Amino acid sequence: MSATAWSAQDAVAAIVRRAEERFEAHRLQVWKSTDRMFAWLMLGQWVFAIVIALTFSPYGWEGKQRTVHMHVWSALLLGGLISAAPVSLALLRPGWVVTRHVIAASQMLWSALLIHLTGGRIETHFHVFGSLGFLAAYRDWPLLLTATVAVAADHLVRGLVWPESVYGIVNPEWWRFLEHAFWVVFSVSILARLCRMSLKDMRTAAERGAELEALSEGEWRRSSVLERPETAAS
Amino acid sequence: MAGRGAKSLSDRAVFAAIALWLVSVATGFGLLWKYKSTPGAPPLALETRWPAASRIERDPQHATLLMFVHPRCPCTRASVAELSRLMGRLSGQLAARVVFVRPQGVEDDWERGELWARAASIPGAAAVLDKGGAEAERFDARTSGQVLLYDPAGRLVFSGGITPSRGHEGDSFGQRRIVSLIETGSADRADSPVFGCALRASLQSANKEER
Repeated sequence: MSATAWSAQDAVAAIVRRAEERFEAHRLQVWKSTDRMFAWLMLGQWVFAIVIALTFSPYGWEGKQRTVHMHVWSALLLGGLISAAPVSLALLRPGWVVTRHVIAASQMLWSALLIHLTGGRIETHFHVFGSLGFLAAYRDWPLLLTATVAVAADHLVRGLVWPESVYGIVNPEWWRFLEHAFWVVFSVSILARLCRMSLKDMRTAAERGAELEALSEGEWRRSSVLERPETAAS
Repeated sequence: MAGRGAKSLSDRAVFAAIALWLVSVATGFGLLWKYKSTPGAPPLALETRWPAASRIERDPQHATLLMFVHPRCPCTRASVAELSRLMGRLSGQLAARVVFVRPQGVEDDWERGELWARAASIPGAAAVLDKGGAEAERFDARTSGQVLLYDPAGRLVFSGGITPSRGHEGDSFGQRRIVSLIETGSADRADSPVFGCALRASLQSANKEER
């Protein structure tokens, strides 16, 4: 009796262990594949920035004399620099926690650079919110905090030294920073909840998978035991 | 656990590389900010009245705004966009002339491009050609995006730019002062920094080439 209880407890523990393994493996697979996706996105954004600069601001002019515009150098060098770290880490250390956080920060830096390259167009600011949505693909809500901190740091520094480049007005009210922060926090809070819900679903799937594995293993053992005499007889 | 196969780089080296990367990116943005927030040359010998020798038509009924533009300066796209907003806001109270400075020694229609089309489409504004930069010299305009505002009597009431930085759209001191001057007749200051490509330097180099 106690031996049966012990083996049942053992079986449950094995299922829980297996569920955890399946969950971790799935999560790592999500992280690695999302790292790869962002590596391509970083390269794509770099090419996009160069095309934007070459199309809209190829040259700086002094009369009829022209020189390569600062935007072209910024897109080429600064854009390349921004992409360098996340792409390298995604290739060398896929799935690593630091890789994800560097990618989150880089994505926000890309928002800042694209806003500069498009002359502060209000439409380019949508890149920030689109990026937060992309980062939610990791299903790792602390990344959204890293992205938020990167945006906040950019707003804080520029808001102090160059407020019109952030807020579009030259002497913003003291609470203007909170208004911008509110919309980022609004977006992040829902995305973070979605990340947690997604993780919960992954865990449930892992538990069911582990139970099914255990069941099919049990079936296989039973059928093996039942088939053994026939095999022996034949 | 993660990335077990790629542990050839030590964590310490990776963190050092990330720190270096952060400093480099911050430096890059710093240089970009410096470029964008450095104003062009302001007028040095600005007359306080509309120059009598000017061939540009002044509106005697309303205030007249002149914007001097390098036809191919990409940074001036923001100035023209802001002028469009300004004209929308001050509709019927202001006449604008966007003066396209064509340097000597370039082909005809050199100034005709995207900026010209945009400026010409602004209600209340007219695109004007300044061949050889004579008007730019007359009004002492040195930077593309330079705005001069004259009252209906031809007195200069404002000189400056209407973008917050180089090639960057958004509200600016210049715009606010122009709006205040038109709507209330006064402003805290009568100038603002101008951001854009150099006009006067281009004229000098054109003259040098001519000699």
